[in-house]
Amino acid sequence: MSDLAIRDLRKTYRTKGRPEVHAVRGFDLEVDSGELVGLLGPSGCGKSTTLRMIAGLEDATSGDIRVGSSSVVGLPPQRRNIGVAFENYALYPPLSVSENIAFGLRARGKGDRKKRVADVAHRIGLTDILDATPVGLSSGQKQRVALARAIVRRPDVLLLDEPLSHLDAGQRDTTRRELRHLQQELGYTTILVIHDQEEALSLADRVVVMNDGVVQQVGTPDEIYDDPMNLFVARFVGEPPMNLLDGAHQADGTVRLSTETRVAVGDVPDAVGPVVLGVRPEDVVLAGEADADVSGVVVVYENLLEHGLLTVELPGAEERIVAQTAPGLGLEPGREVSLALRRDRTYLFSAETGRRVR
Amino acid sequence: MSTTVTETADPSGSTAAGSDAAPARPRPELRSSRRKALAGSLANVSLAAYFAFSLIPIVFILALSLKSNADQTTTYLAFSPTFENYRTVLGIGDGGSSYVRFFLASLVTSVGAVLVSLAIGIPAAYAAARYRFRGSEDLLFTLLSFRFAPELAVIIPLSVIYQQLGLYDTFVGMIWVLQLVTMPLVVWILRSFFQDLPAELEEAALLDGYTRRQAFFKTVLPLVRPGIAAVSLLAFIFAWNNFIFPFTLTSSNAQTVTVSSLAFLGGNQVQFNLVAAGVVMAALPPLVLALFIQRYLVRGLSFGAVKS
Repeated sequence: MSDLAIRDLRKTYRTKGRPEVHAVRGFDLEVDSGELVGLLGPSGCGKSTTLRMIAGLEDATSGDIRVGSSSVVGLPPQRRNIGVAFENYALYPPLSVSENIAFGLRARGKGDRKKRVADVAHRIGLTDILDATPVGLSSGQKQRVALARAIVRRPDVLLLDEPLSHLDAGQRDTTRRELRHLQQELGYTTILVIHDQEEALSLADRVVVMNDGVVQQVGTPDEIYDDPMNLFVARFVGEPPMNLLDGAHQADGTVRLSTETRVAVGDVPDAVGPVVLGVRPEDVVLAGEADADVSGVVVVYENLLEHGLLTVELPGAEERIVAQTAPGLGLEPGREVSLALRRDRTYLFSAETGRRVR
Repeated sequence: MSTTVTETADPSGSTAAGSDAAPARPRPELRSSRRKALAGSLANVSLAAYFAFSLIPIVFILALSLKSNADQTTTYLAFSPTFENYRTVLGIGDGGSSYVRFFLASLVTSVGAVLVSLAIGIPAAYAAARYRFRGSEDLLFTLLSFRFAPELAVIIPLSVIYQQLGLYDTFVGMIWVLQLVTMPLVVWILRSFFQDLPAELEEAALLDGYTRRQAFFKTVLPLVRPGIAAVSLLAFIFAWNNFIFPFTLTSSNAQTVTVSSLAFLGGNQVQFNLVAAGVVMAALPPLVLALFIQRYLVRGLSFGAVKS
């Protein structure tokens, strides 16, 4: 278990006759010993490439990766002591579970193989299936075997590539909890690649949001959710997604969404001009006419039993606004409603740069 | 066809006449299961017919190989079988014949061709599956084109070249030219086997501390063993059955059994029964090999099922 520091890591693919592809551009991250950091982003954002560079399966074009106090850049994977649990588990079909776990120990000729396999199997809860072959195992079990295989050699850093993506909904929840519990108990410095924002936020100590090879924001799940630094993070994180309404910030401290609809947001330095107003559905509430920020016409009301989702068309505005309400309200389409936006949870982004201005 | 029609028409009639308490609910199931059984037995009958049909040439050649000279032009199966043809072909009691030598030459060239193809083709197939390099697709396509280009198109220049290089009628020459037959098979089939294996299997081994070479030999190669067995057998059969190359590029020393069987069709006598005996014996090695490798062959052809 060591800390991990990555500085200005870059990966550029160059193919003759084709434009260069910048898969990762300037990735910086420091991970404390025992911390679990999630790399979150849409597919093709460079998160897997980053993971593979840390593991040594892909050469870094430039930048530094330090495990503990020494740089591992240029070292082949077998000399890095980094454990990886692959997305497709990479289990060896002809070998039993215990042989699969022991596979990595054989390469390094560790003597106390049996004991260590038994120990890891006990911790991860695989003792009952040690003699089974991978073919008959459930996805959750395979995932645990892959994890056991990654940690049996006691790596300095543990990398998990999409550990939940092949599991069905029920297994996902249990495996997620188990994974978190195990990681905390074993105390491994862990980097997790994940495309599902909800899972990333619930699992990781800190989350790195990436898009198009560029780190968008690094922060705790709360920071990412409550304090998105730009439009991409605001759009990518949260379910149902944040309302993002195009408008223009006026000198009088309002955002004009259309000729009929204005929202008072107060003074924002340097924000006069085109902006995007962001507010999460749970921060849009039904209100009396006196407290309302906007009013509009109900397009649809979805009763999702735990809560309701109300879609409202604002007069003149292009985007509809979604409010998360109490369940079972039975609001008919066409009805006029008034909505209040929680002022302290309303964000303004520059329409030009996507950066948050308030 | 007519039976199915009456079959389906019958139940509706009987329910109309029967009590109204039992509606026609179970009937459609019954009908469909009956239809299924009918379709199944129909399939079996046509398969059996096809089996019998494809057996005809084998039965014919087996019978012919057991016929005496007097019987050889007849087509009926009622004759007194004799092993005289086999004795003649093998030269038993006659101080041996060249058939055995040609048979061995066939074995040497076919096995040799397969071994060379495996030695070069396994690494080639692996590289083609794992790496994209400039011209890799062109290279593979060229290799494939050896299979569908007619051998006759190249045979005249080849025989001239072989004469010049001193490869004519040599084992090295035969094994070399048979690469046209066996190499494309090995590379193309094994490539898809390698492609089916996730690269992560090797990468996991690398992370575990194995070298690139060890990772290949310990993870990938054992997993494609069924594929290697299957492709070896196929390549062997193709090499063994090849006629045109030994026919044009050998004369005596490296001549194979496919060509030498023709020797009985010449001179002043046409002895089909002797040809048949030679052919039956020549068919044995692929047959025996197939029986031994069958287990791997089935596994090799259903390999995709192993993947997670």
